[in-house]
Amino acid sequence: MITARGLTRRFGDLVAVDRLDLDVSKGEVFGFLGPNGAGKTTTVRMLAALIAPTSGEATVAGQRLGFANREIRQRVGVLTETPGLYRRLSAWDNLIFFAKLHRLADPATQVERYLKLFDLWDRRDEPAGSYSKGMRQKLAIARALLHEPEVLFLDEPTASLDPESAKAVRDLIETLQSRERTIFLCTHNLDEADRLCDRVALFNQRLIAVGEPQHLREQMYGRRTVVHVADLRPGLEDALDLPFVTGVERVDDALVVSLTDPDRENPALVRRLVELGAEVRYVNELRMSLEDLYLDLMEDADAST
Amino acid sequence: MHRLSVILIKEWREALRNKMVLFGVLFLPLLLVGVSVYMVSEGGGTDDPIAQIVLFNTSLMYFLLLPAIIPLAIAVYSIVGEKDQSTLEPLLSTPVSDLELFLGKALASVIPALAVNWTCFGAFLAITSILLGGLPPHVLTVPWLASIFGLSPLLSLFAVSVTMLVSSRASDARAAYQVSSFAILPGVIPLIVYSSRKTLVNLTLVGIEAAVLLVASAVLLAFAIRVFRREQILTRWT
Repeated sequence: MITARGLTRRFGDLVAVDRLDLDVSKGEVFGFLGPNGAGKTTTVRMLAALIAPTSGEATVAGQRLGFANREIRQRVGVLTETPGLYRRLSAWDNLIFFAKLHRLADPATQVERYLKLFDLWDRRDEPAGSYSKGMRQKLAIARALLHEPEVLFLDEPTASLDPESAKAVRDLIETLQSRERTIFLCTHNLDEADRLCDRVALFNQRLIAVGEPQHLREQMYGRRTVVHVADLRPGLEDALDLPFVTGVERVDDALVVSLTDPDRENPALVRRLVELGAEVRYVNELRMSLEDLYLDLMEDADAST
Repeated sequence: MHRLSVILIKEWREALRNKMVLFGVLFLPLLLVGVSVYMVSEGGGTDDPIAQIVLFNTSLMYFLLLPAIIPLAIAVYSIVGEKDQSTLEPLLSTPVSDLELFLGKALASVIPALAVNWTCFGAFLAITSILLGGLPPHVLTVPWLASIFGLSPLLSLFAVSVTMLVSSRASDARAAYQVSSFAILPGVIPLIVYSSRKTLVNLTLVGIEAAVLLVASAVLLAFAIRVFRREQILTRWT
């Protein structure tokens, strides 16, 4: 649904996006993560055919960037970081305006549908400026979805939302995903990215890493099993002489054991510990957070430049 | 054409809900109609031909200031308002073309300016006729009509182009309004000649002013269209 090859954007001497290669499939929720000023917004603006790349090429929703920009804008929806609503106009007028710009066959029905979906129908005639932050964000999301875009670019969709509204937005993203919509999600909320995204890209002017969150974690940290043991005696980690164990670390009352295939190796690991006299309380997988991964990869990237 | 009309309607809906814009579009015209009626009435009642001519010419000048002043209020809030509300990016994310957007914004200012000006001129003629029992000589002449119907659109176009250029660089509506007010002066200063003349406005004078405005508007319009490109708006506008 989105492909980019060598996509680059310069502003004078500043390279905002440097030779970006991307492939995002239909129906995928793709997280685009990076610090402020990393070039995420510039990337979205290029892919949404709002600004031209300095070099490189891209295809969005089957349309080639630079050759079919109007068609691309017809097929994508963009939620900007700020809701960007006409404050003096009512919610209805805001949406009708955009529905007509997209030349929808029945703008009124579509607007009604989305106002009802986001629980804004009863307050449709009130100026958008009188809405709460959460309501404005919902209205902005409704606007981005009005024309049923094939690709949706969401920039911080849950920022400034209360937990209930944020959950509603996350549920909506999952619903859209189930309807085969492609979602390009820029967020600083790494927990959200971890929960929602099929794949994430870590980006800071250039692509640092891309893949499924779990796969990236395994690549970075390997797979580790935590074994909690009663009365962990000294030297137990040294006695753990199994060939598939690639590393053992003592953390508080637990052993953190690096394995290549925990699903297969965990039973043998527990058997060996019991043989060594350890009282195993429970075993779980050490799951590094996406935040840990993000921070470590960004640090590595900084160190390498 | 469809999207152009959609933009026009949205612009007017917003303008109608903006008290500052409404004040600029309605108050000054009403004031100038009143002043013009008074001046022509005074002119019609005086025996001094020079005083009469100066009063008539000044009245005409007022109806040429309106099409330059009215678009300022609408255009400034139309553009600075988009910036202020962060609505430019969502708007530019739609399939609307740069030209449709530019024309929508420009016409949203020019059309009401001309409509208000010509309505005010009609009201001025009607009120003056009623008060004086008919129009004084030298008021509804060919140079007057040429000025009202020929120069007014050019003055509006000139003012809108200036305002769009100024507003693209401004983030504060009041500052943009003030700068634009000064920036349109070169276009309206020749009109002051109208009121200072001791002879009636003639077609030569109207023709010279029209030619100057035509050239100036064409140049400014070309610049404004260049500034009004999607990429420029997103990356350069403050």
